[in-house]
Amino acid sequence: MSHRKITFIQAVREAFQEEMRRDERVFILGQDVRAGIFGTTSKLVGEFGEDRVINTPICESASVGAAVGAAMTGLRPVVQIMFGDFNYLAMEITANQAGQWHYLSDGALKVPLVIETPSGARGGAGYGHSQSLEAAFILPPGLKVAVPSTPYDAKGLLKSAIRDDNPVLFFEHRRLLTQRGQVPEEEYLIPLGQADIKRAGKDVTLVALSATVQKALSAAERLSRQSIEVEVIDPRTLVPLDKETIFKSLQKTYHLVVVEEGRRRGGFGAELTAIAAEEWFDFLDAPVQRLGTISAPLPYSPVLEAACIPSEDDIVRAVLRSLGQED
Amino acid sequence: MALDNDKLKELYRNMVTVRLMEKRVERLVTAARIPCSGHFGTGQEAVGVGICGPLRSDDYLFGTHRGFAEYIGKGMAPAEILCEYYGKATSLSRGRLGQHLLKVDVGIMPLPSSLGSEFGMSVGAALSSKLRRSGQVTVNLFGEGTAGQADFGPALEMASLWQLPLVFVCNNNQYVELAHYRNVVATEDIAPRAGGYGVPYEIVDGNDIALVYDATERAVSRARNGEGPMLLEFKTYRRGTHYTGDPGGYQPQEEIAAWEKKDPIDRCRERMMAEGFWDETDEQAMRETIEAEIETAVQFAEESPYPDPATVYENIYAQGGSKS
Repeated sequence: MSHRKITFIQAVREAFQEEMRRDERVFILGQDVRAGIFGTTSKLVGEFGEDRVINTPICESASVGAAVGAAMTGLRPVVQIMFGDFNYLAMEITANQAGQWHYLSDGALKVPLVIETPSGARGGAGYGHSQSLEAAFILPPGLKVAVPSTPYDAKGLLKSAIRDDNPVLFFEHRRLLTQRGQVPEEEYLIPLGQADIKRAGKDVTLVALSATVQKALSAAERLSRQSIEVEVIDPRTLVPLDKETIFKSLQKTYHLVVVEEGRRRGGFGAELTAIAAEEWFDFLDAPVQRLGTISAPLPYSPVLEAACIPSEDDIVRAVLRSLGQED
Repeated sequence: MALDNDKLKELYRNMVTVRLMEKRVERLVTAARIPCSGHFGTGQEAVGVGICGPLRSDDYLFGTHRGFAEYIGKGMAPAEILCEYYGKATSLSRGRLGQHLLKVDVGIMPLPSSLGSEFGMSVGAALSSKLRRSGQVTVNLFGEGTAGQADFGPALEMASLWQLPLVFVCNNNQYVELAHYRNVVATEDIAPRAGGYGVPYEIVDGNDIALVYDATERAVSRARNGEGPMLLEFKTYRRGTHYTGDPGGYQPQEEIAAWEKKDPIDRCRERMMAEGFWDETDEQAMRETIEAEIETAVQFAEESPYPDPATVYENIYAQGGSKS
């Protein structure tokens, strides 16, 4: 395969282009998607026209509602929610409607829908433009949740999400959007529900999501200098969750650390820790270490924001705690 | 298509079916044969039945929780309704929906428990039919109380902005749950709100089924011809209480009595008799047929099995995806 380095934004845009060329039922709607405020949908209107790249009025709930109605009647919409935080404005539609009507109709209705949503803390955006809310979508039934951490994963997962017959939340961390990564020229798909081992190791299993994957890899690099070999696993999707890959790693390491930028209380780490306690108890030599954002509103000052979310140092310390080497 | 005598007879038969079904289901709810409560619409049958008159089978309908008028009007059979209410394995949803009646193959779309969540969905259905150039029209029926929901305005805006084949229909029955609507609705009429979004509107007597049919026919034809959305407000009256457990008492007796005189079924029958294409013999025969159909349906629902509890895990997710 021939590779080139492109940004996360370019990777997402390529996924849109390829899927919209492949299937005329795919269209995009959302606030300012024609201009594309973060660039993921920019220039698509030139190729696909205004019928397939639709600017919506400022109303997240009705926009997601419109996407649900279009999905139920034969189209495959992608609706962009400009900031992850604003998903709460559409939560009724996403949680009570989008994920439930396939089941309620006993399969008579399908809701093939993607909610594309830039999110996460990038320093200085303030309380309502910075949260990582992916774990909030584990709870409602019928939804799938993707949290890509690289351009390669973003493109492959988004293409699968668009082809999936269920509603998929697709979170794009804003710190990742301008980062570059290797992406093949050739078409590829990444199935939803397949974790990726971002770094192999034998001592500790470190599960990280989205932007924390890079912090986890840097922490692993530092720990490697102390002869601690951390296995970094990116689940890539929270629902469905590839438990098998995590369990296989744990059978080797017997130590589990989980880090996310979403809030720690009731977060993905809480779910994974519960799974570990229920199903993998015999493979835990130490308590699970769970890192996430504190349960406070995210403050504006970059210094305060950084104090709320897990850092590379926090991850190093959590791994050491797991191994009983707290300094 | 103008309302001819045969069509009027069909609408009349549907209204009587609705009235008799609602009375029957009310008894079944009260007798605890059916686990849910019931929300019935005695006195407002002309709206739900009449708006379905001009619709094609593949047109989309988003209905309300109150009664069976639009569901029977759009093509749900009494047995299908009863099996849903009983929660039996023979229901279309295999026991998943209860009062949230759905029949996709005749265009009956989701009734969200959170009323008003269908506003966005009806925009999406209409947008979809416009993009697919299918010629389908979407009708979104809602009550004057639901007009308070957050997505009502944005749905009007989107429908207007994109000139969608979408007809909003407000069934104004003057009671929002346990209070007269003017306790919670700031204006006498809902319809002029559409004007603020550039959507034309009409206010029509909702107890005259011919007027309901004609107004809907105009709005639907317009929408189908690509001339955009409309809002129709039908003035009617809910003679019963909000739900089966509601003791009522908040509706003045003289108000109920005044609206009984404007009963849509009586008015339709009187017109048909006056015009000479309906008589007491027809009436008697029709009622006997409908009552027999309902009793057969009740018996079928009673005798149907409950779903196998193991089916709760089925169809949580759709398997597979786009192959094209």
